[in-house]
Amino acid sequence: MGTVQAPQHEYLDVDALVDDYHERGWTDGLPIVAPTPEKVERFLAVAGLRGDEVLGHVPTREVTVTAEQVAINAVMAGCRAEYLPTVIAAVRAHLHEKANCHSTTGTLSGAFQMVIVNGPARAALGVACEGACFGPGFRANATIGRALRLVIRNACRAIPGFLDRASFSTPARYSMCFGEDEEGSGATWRPMHVERGFAATDSTVTVQSVMVVVPATDFTARTPEAVCDTLVATIRSKGTSGDAFLEGAGEVVVVIGPEHRRFFLEAGWSKDDIRANLHPRITALDGPGRPVKFPDTEPERLLLVAAGGPGMGESWVFIPHLSRAITEPIRTAVTTSP
Amino acid sequence: MELEWNGIPSITLVHEALRGSAEAICRVSGMAGYPFITVDYPHVPTAIWTDDEIASIAKAVAPEVHRQLSA
Repeated sequence: MGTVQAPQHEYLDVDALVDDYHERGWTDGLPIVAPTPEKVERFLAVAGLRGDEVLGHVPTREVTVTAEQVAINAVMAGCRAEYLPTVIAAVRAHLHEKANCHSTTGTLSGAFQMVIVNGPARAALGVACEGACFGPGFRANATIGRALRLVIRNACRAIPGFLDRASFSTPARYSMCFGEDEEGSGATWRPMHVERGFAATDSTVTVQSVMVVVPATDFTARTPEAVCDTLVATIRSKGTSGDAFLEGAGEVVVVIGPEHRRFFLEAGWSKDDIRANLHPRITALDGPGRPVKFPDTEPERLLLVAAGGPGMGESWVFIPHLSRAITEPIRTAVTTSP
Repeated sequence: MELEWNGIPSITLVHEALRGSAEAICRVSGMAGYPFITVDYPHVPTAIWTDDEIASIAKAVAPEVHRQLSA
């Protein structure tokens, strides 16, 4: 006898299952993989979790999320079993009080959840960090991000027209997951998870809810100062308001592409050097555009991440919704599926 | 390559960052191994170059351009 507690349904074939899941509102509109009890149990076994383990709550929605629910949605998303610990970590991060699930998944603005993977899990799972890493083509990126979104839909009840009240929403709500290009960012740049208190050998997931994405495109910059000027102008083109619950604005994430990164690395600038340049300028109340309402004492709220491929003189700025970026360890050893 | 197919000797300059794309186009065009000359860093891949930079790149690649055209 299996251990899966969720109600079970029988179907004549997979097509009937997919159609029924869609009719019941359990999918994001794309086909899903059938979450058979055997698969769900195997996923939980790989992660070393009991199905009834509670990962978090959404108090305003009377929601409690369990490991079994996450495993079911990870199977549906097309994950391999060894991705589940990463999905679990992403769910824990998103259900952190300051990640503000209710607001960030119900908002009119259609904010999406960005999942950033650090550490050895990237290579072990095949999480893309370089060229085209924000887009389709990479199973780990596509399905880990999708699994989190299916949990948000099926467990946290963020269904369009119900608790998801987005005016437009965004295709990034299908999936948004990538890794930091730690190997491509030199010895002077500490990976994001190390900056946030983890060991380089740890694997982690950082989740931030994002309201606006702005590419900081500049082909002409040739110095770190010039790239910073473009980043300041880009960040201030949107700014972000503060919130007492979050103690100021949530973390702005700047993903620095290799054509910009190399000017910093060649000049020996660390991530802290970049923050020292950017932080006073993006928080200044009297500059052009809108400031970012970070506390003066917390420049580390500016998250700097290396990713992307060569070619474009570009970095990307992710302006948060009302949420703090939360980093969670990937707790279970990564293993390989049979 | 289209110039070559029309009998016009030509030279292709590609930035090192875009070598993979160039090789893929050569392959799908049935001309795998078609020679091209690469420009590398510190020159940016998108060819937003100053006049002086262009002149220095031209000087650097000229011998190879000459060699390929006269091969």
